[in-house]
Amino acid sequence: MWRYFTINTVSELICSIIALICLSKDKNKVWCSWIVFLILICITELAGINIKIKYIKELDYLKAHPHFQMTVKPNVWIYNILLLFQASFISLLFDNLLKRYINSKPLITIGLAIFSMLYIYELIQHGPFIKHNITTTVLAVIFIIYSFNYFYLLLEDDNYLDLKYSAEFWWVSGTLLFYFGSIASLIFFQILTKLDPHFEVTVPIYKILNIILYSCWSYSFICRRWLTTTSKS
Amino acid sequence: MANNDIKELIIITTLIFLLAPAFLLSYIFVYNRRKKRHIEEKAQLKLVFESELVKTQMEIQEQTMQTIGVELHDNIGQLLSLTSLTLNSIELDNPDKAQQKIGAAIELNLKSIKEMRMLGKLLHGEQLVKQGLEEAIRSEISWIEKSGRFMVTYQVDGEKPVAGNADKDLILFRITQELFNNVIKHSQAANISVKLCFSADEVRLLIIDDGAGFDINNLPETQKGMGLKNIQKRAEIVGGRVFIQSQPGEGTCIEIGIPYP
Repeated sequence: MWRYFTINTVSELICSIIALICLSKDKNKVWCSWIVFLILICITELAGINIKIKYIKELDYLKAHPHFQMTVKPNVWIYNILLLFQASFISLLFDNLLKRYINSKPLITIGLAIFSMLYIYELIQHGPFIKHNITTTVLAVIFIIYSFNYFYLLLEDDNYLDLKYSAEFWWVSGTLLFYFGSIASLIFFQILTKLDPHFEVTVPIYKILNIILYSCWSYSFICRRWLTTTSKS
Repeated sequence: MANNDIKELIIITTLIFLLAPAFLLSYIFVYNRRKKRHIEEKAQLKLVFESELVKTQMEIQEQTMQTIGVELHDNIGQLLSLTSLTLNSIELDNPDKAQQKIGAAIELNLKSIKEMRMLGKLLHGEQLVKQGLEEAIRSEISWIEKSGRFMVTYQVDGEKPVAGNADKDLILFRITQELFNNVIKHSQAANISVKLCFSADEVRLLIIDDGAGFDINNLPETQKGMGLKNIQKRAEIVGGRVFIQSQPGEGTCIEIGIPYP
């Protein structure tokens, strides 16, 4: 039971609960839909751990009985599925934030088109049971570009926004910090799979990044519910 | 060793990649605070401008009232007193003389009506500014000319932009009034030349007199802070500039340029 409670799952669960409390009555459907996305993340994470436990058990069994065939696959495929939701929900919210300043549709459409092409390419190339690393890396770069674009437009805007209490600002900040911070791990992923098969380096990095990400997102939801004074359109 | 190097490299790169957006976020915070300060300053400037505008309006009204007071007392009052005296002195026994005096009284009365009409026009001074700066200045000049002490030439160059700017018109009109006051009070001039020039992005007012002039650098402390400083301050509020050229005995030339509209 306690195996299911890791730093990642706990931070994701807390963030989901905060989202449920803060966003359930939000008039903006895009923000509201984030409850579903965060619940999906929690389910994926718990299912991933569950598959991993079964996989390890079967691996131990296989060692004792080599004539048996393995039935459980590693849990990478479930994260590959989550990648689809990740691209959709984050792009959707970026579209919602950027359209206040510019016509964001072309930018978001191009981003999603690149993502779709790479996803299909990697799916054909190596199937769903290996991590879609190129797609994940490019998606991170796309989100970084969106974040920079948002900050640029924010600076350009003549209106003053109290950033301390701006839900949008904290959401984009969390996203930027997470994806920018994870770039190094994503770029060196291929080398790391050989040098560091148990991900001793990347696991703590991702733990820290996840804490930063879900803290920013949670605070952003709190701002959205109680502190943001601008119109919630 | 190579493995450790790569691991270290990844950790350092991640740290750098985390620090870069952290710096960016700090910069955004600082910039945003500056933006807030800038907005507050702008609001403050707007407040100053508005209060200066109200002050200008009040001063124009005050000046109008003063002129009306003086006119009523010195001119219309005298005319009416004279009419009354003339009518009182009519001797009905002497019809020829009576006819003459009635004629004089009618003439005095007509003069009073004319003066009253002019005063009425003056009372609508603010409306005059709204109708156009050129007309407002023209009306001000006609009052100066009425005294008979000055010979004024007035020239308007260029076309006033259709859009105009009522606030700037009001301020420039008040500046003109203050300059005329200075000329009347201190210059001892006989000729005044007024030129109003409209260009694509600016309006220029040029007032030249052949009066006593003054040494700009040696103005007495009591005079320094009054009219000229006020004029300078007002012009600066609307982004304008003032050039003063004067020498004792050589008259004065004052040029005011204001971005327009």
